[in-house]
Amino acid sequence: MTAHAASAATAGLGSEAVLYPRRKKRIRGSSIAILVFLTMCALFVAVPLYVVIVTSFKPIEEITLGRIFALPVTWTFEPWDKAWNNMCTGLDCNGIKSGFFNSLAILMPSLFFSIGISAVTGYALALWNVRWAGPFLFVLFICAFVPFQIIMIPLIVVIANVGIYGTIWAVAVVHSILAMPLLTLIFRNFYKDVPRELINAAVMDSGSFWRIFVEIILPMSGNIMVVVLILVITTVWNDYLVGLTFGGISAKPMTVILANSVITSRGEVIHNVNMAAALLTAIPPLVVYFALGRFFVQGITAGAIKG
Amino acid sequence: MGIRWTRTSPQIALTPALAITFVCFFGAILWTIYMSFTNSRRFPDYEIDLAGLGRQYERLFGSDAWMTSLRNLVILAIGSALAIVFGFILAAMVEREKRGEGVFRTIFLYPLAISLIVTGLVWRWMFNPTLGIEGFLRGLGFEGAEFNWLARPNTAMYAIILASIWHGLGFYMALMLAGLKSINTEIWSAARIDGVSFWRLYIEIIVPMMKFTFLTCGILLSLGVVKAFDIVVAMTNGGPGQSTWTPAYFAINAYSVRSNIGFASAAAVIMLLMTLAIFLPLVLLTAWQMRRREAAVQ
Repeated sequence: MTAHAASAATAGLGSEAVLYPRRKKRIRGSSIAILVFLTMCALFVAVPLYVVIVTSFKPIEEITLGRIFALPVTWTFEPWDKAWNNMCTGLDCNGIKSGFFNSLAILMPSLFFSIGISAVTGYALALWNVRWAGPFLFVLFICAFVPFQIIMIPLIVVIANVGIYGTIWAVAVVHSILAMPLLTLIFRNFYKDVPRELINAAVMDSGSFWRIFVEIILPMSGNIMVVVLILVITTVWNDYLVGLTFGGISAKPMTVILANSVITSRGEVIHNVNMAAALLTAIPPLVVYFALGRFFVQGITAGAIKG
Repeated sequence: MGIRWTRTSPQIALTPALAITFVCFFGAILWTIYMSFTNSRRFPDYEIDLAGLGRQYERLFGSDAWMTSLRNLVILAIGSALAIVFGFILAAMVEREKRGEGVFRTIFLYPLAISLIVTGLVWRWMFNPTLGIEGFLRGLGFEGAEFNWLARPNTAMYAIILASIWHGLGFYMALMLAGLKSINTEIWSAARIDGVSFWRLYIEIIVPMMKFTFLTCGILLSLGVVKAFDIVVAMTNGGPGQSTWTPAYFAINAYSVRSNIGFASAAAVIMLLMTLAIFLPLVLLTAWQMRRREAAVQ
């Protein structure tokens, strides 16, 4: 929808330029003022990232000079290497790479479970006459916004009893549970616009629930799948609380390892290594963002409003 | 037979979602509420303490840390609301000055892709007294520059607010931009023809038209503030002292540091109540909007 709005807006821009050729000229001065203001705000947003990147390439002697905005005089990749391979968390000095692989290992089953369950549920609620679909959607709507703290302790108790506490699976299962309400609402909102005739025809054609899903619905869900994929990847990758409370010692995701080594460690603070580690943690979602920006915006706003 | 088949399959397909909703959400919430009336400490203790039924809640509201958390919640909510205001201003400017829309949007939105832990670390580094912005300004000759906000209890919260605004600004801008774009283009031309001044156009026409967007932003922001945990951990870890605790931080702390399930549950229940209080307007609003949309269709 945002994409449509954007294309409509650019189209509108073109026609407006034709209709009102004077407009551009008349607001020249205010136009410059606006651009200056926007650029200043953009700097406020962009500068921290710049500072972090610059810091991560500086040798430690340059950092102690205190010129955080300056470019490195000598560029060094050592902080990055250190952050990846032998940054310390407590007594464990294996770098942040174990967290990276844990996060990846958590991400895969989370994607599979959460998208699998919500797509099927959204499809059933949108296109099959489920009598209590309305009330159920309302309940999901509430569940999507419930604070995690209220369900955290019982989930810990259950997961510990099942015997998977502190494993990748525990974190992935909890992520899937937390994502289910919102994703279901998103899928349901997408599928409800599928023409009824199509489904009726398919049912007449002796298509079963599952066959219609696999052969008709899934092939047409490309767009929404990308949006949901981005939403889940960024939430799971950026999550801290679930990883902290369910990851135990052996399944800590990247954010938890980063936070532990930078915030709670009492050892010597090595700024350039910390910044490199922070960037390493931020790179995967940033890559997703810059590669699929349009869908990213859609995913975030869908997650926000449609929920 | 065919009809029966189509009825049972959806039911089977819905079972996992139903189970999750009723066990992991409803069941869990009831369990937590129940626990908040017990004296459970490290492990759940299912005996309700009838003599002091609301004891956990009394302790909660008698605790300084909790009152600090509540105060911080209000400060954080008011402070972060600036993100909505600035988001609107930026969106209005980007929308008006179409040049560079894509570039600005990309820049303003990228913090949203970064985790709050990284955000916190980044700003922690900016606030570093000797090597961060303060050191830089002093190096330039501004000896009185004070930017060491994180070290003082009365300013640490503002640092967290600044970081949250940095993180959320683009999000609110994107929502506002979507709202602005849905406004009928005729209004702009009509206003131009009528010679309505720039400020009056925005304050008297555009903002009232976008009240739904503003309200959505406000509710989302409040819900986010109630959940504020990661950013606090990353920026201050609650410190200095307990000055930057939030209810979310308090609940986690009561569970994992103090190992007190009953107490943590009571804090979580209050969080739930706050969420519901914020949530109610959203529900009413959605119902109202849906009715309006239906009316528009007919």
